[in-house]
This record gives sequence, structure tokens and C-alpha cells, in this order.
Amino acid sequence: MAQVLLIEPDKILARSYVSGLEADGHIVHWCQKSETAIHAMDEHTIDLIIVELQLAEHNGVEFLHELRSYPEWDHIPVLLHSMLPKKQSGIDTFWHHFGIVGHLYKPQTTLAYLNQTVNRALLTTA
Amino acid sequence: MPAQLKADKNARLLQAMAEELKLPLLQIARQAELLQATPDKALLGSIETAASRAMWFVDSFLLSHQLSQQQSLILEPVTVSAALNDSAHMLDKLAKQYDSEIEVRLSGKYGPVMAHQEALRTAIVGLATTLITADSGEDCKRYVLAAHKSRGGVVTGVFCHNNTLSQSVFRQGKALYGQARQPLRNVTAHAGAGVFIADSLFTSMESRLRVARHHKLTGLAATLHPSYQLALV
Repeated sequence: MAQVLLIEPDKILARSYVSGLEADGHIVHWCQKSETAIHAMDEHTIDLIIVELQLAEHNGVEFLHELRSYPEWDHIPVLLHSMLPKKQSGIDTFWHHFGIVGHLYKPQTTLAYLNQTVNRALLTTA
Repeated sequence: MPAQLKADKNARLLQAMAEELKLPLLQIARQAELLQATPDKALLGSIETAASRAMWFVDSFLLSHQLSQQQSLILEPVTVSAALNDSAHMLDKLAKQYDSEIEVRLSGKYGPVMAHQEALRTAIVGLATTLITADSGEDCKRYVLAAHKSRGGVVTGVFCHNNTLSQSVFRQGKALYGQARQPLRNVTAHAGAGVFIADSLFTSMESRLRVARHHKLTGLAATLHPSYQLALV
């Protein structure tokens, strides 16, 4: 069981992802925006972050910049789960710097595959 | 508008709409997956709403495309209150899904305006859909479909407590839609296609969409000309 921070802008999709991850035994903290996600990081001991790059106001890359500026959070694995295909995200340059463990293209990622990837990432980084 | 410009605009609108369609389709796919594991009637309702929204996007694009092809659109006297109430009815389920409320607010008395009934209704639904799904936080949970009198006519649009919406954000969005995935970046994480479809429909109705105020609320609205013909009757 792990504490997962999910940063997902759409409420309906978030409900589905939260249900899917909770069914696998995880505790999920859902945030819609970068700003609230940073607050959630302060309040909980997060084991893994799932983040969408396309967010209103401050986007996912801005969130990752802020996240990695705090040494106490620099070991937490980040899984990108985005409407942006990997090639178009431009994230390759920052991949290692941000500690990204994977990129999932949201339209082609089932709940089952998301759970599988989360569990694998948690095992690898444990 | 020159034919080439019209074609470019429609291509950009199609691109924005295709991008926007991913959201309801993805909602359907993920909720259907959940439904296989746990039978839940609420999920069925949510799937139905998402499917209706996807179909609405396709229809609204087709209407916008069809009207933009006409040399000059024949406008007719339309009752704003009826258009707003119809739109509110259409938006009810979506608003509930996003834990929001729809309210119709008509300030003052005025007669019919010159518009295209279906286009006006579609434009209002488009604006509200974008704002509701943008889901800008706790302060913005009530979406007001409103009309009020101005010097030029009747200002009709959708308003809420959204402090990220401004004329410059909208102008930038208009320049970027169809080319950027998130043209209204400050407002929504999505493509905001509903706003650009509404913009195209208001343009066809010889009006212009802009950021406007309604009492203390901010929103997107257009000024529709009163139907003087009927006022004389």
C-alpha cells in the first residue's frame, strides 16, 4: 500500500483513476492544480506522484521544477500520465533531472495498466 | 470573409474540437472499465452525460461549419430568455457531474433579439461547457446564463466567479486555438473548443464574443441587436 499523489485536472477522470488505484490498495490524494499539489505534498508522506502535464495556470513541467527544488522531495518517483504524447511533450530533456519513471499517454492507458505501472514503479524505487 | 480564411478557420476549429473530444471519450472508456469491475448505476449516468457531450461537440461543429459557409445568415427574432432556459436544461446533467449549478438570470425587460435560435443556444451551451469542465475551484461553482441591456443591445452570455478570464487571455486563445492544445491556458487544461465554436457562431450572427461583466461576475458574452421590427408591432 502506498500514498499516491494524483494531479489530474478533470474531476470525472480523477474519480475513475482514484477508484482504480484505491481498488489496488493505494491511498490517493487528488489535486487539480500545481499549487494545491504542493500543499498536499506538505501534508502527506507521498510515495509516488502521477502528474498530467496539461494543467490550467501552472503546468506539469512548472510543478516538477518546483517539486525538485525541495531536497526532501527529490527522491519521490514521478509518473507522467498525460494527454500529450511523449514525443510532443518535450520532456525528454528533463527526464533524469525530474526523476521521471515513466510516461503514459492517457488515451491509450487503461486503469489496469496504470495500476500495473504504478506498482512496478513503487517496487523499483523502494 | 474570404474563402481561404474561412477554410483555415474551420480547419482550426476542427483541430480544437478533435482535441476536446478526447476528454468525454476518455471519460467513457475509463468509466466503462470501472463498470466492468463494480456495477454502479451512477457510472452509467456519467457515461451517458459524457457520450451526449461528445455528440454535442460534433453537432455544434457541423452547425458552425454550415453557418459559416452561408453568404449571409438570415437572422430571426429570438427570445433570449427561452434560449437561456433551453441551454440551462441541456447543461443540467453536466453541471451536476462537476458538482456545479446552472442559474438563468435576466436583468431588466427587453424584447426579442436578432439571432439564429439554434446557433444562440449552441453558443451558450458551448461557453458553459468549457467553463464547467474547466472546473476552476471552489469559488466558481455557480454558472450564470445571463442577459442584460446595454447601449448596443442585449448582452448575452455565461458568467461565473472566474478571476483567470480576461480580454487578453481570450485574445491570446483566439490566436492559438487549433494550433496549441491548451489555448486558454489560464482558464482550462483542455482545448476550450466550446468557446471557439461559440465565437464562430456569434460571428455568423453578426456579433462578437468578448470578455464581459455581469454584476460581480466575469464571463464571455456577445451583444445581440434588438429586433426593432417586432418592437413596433
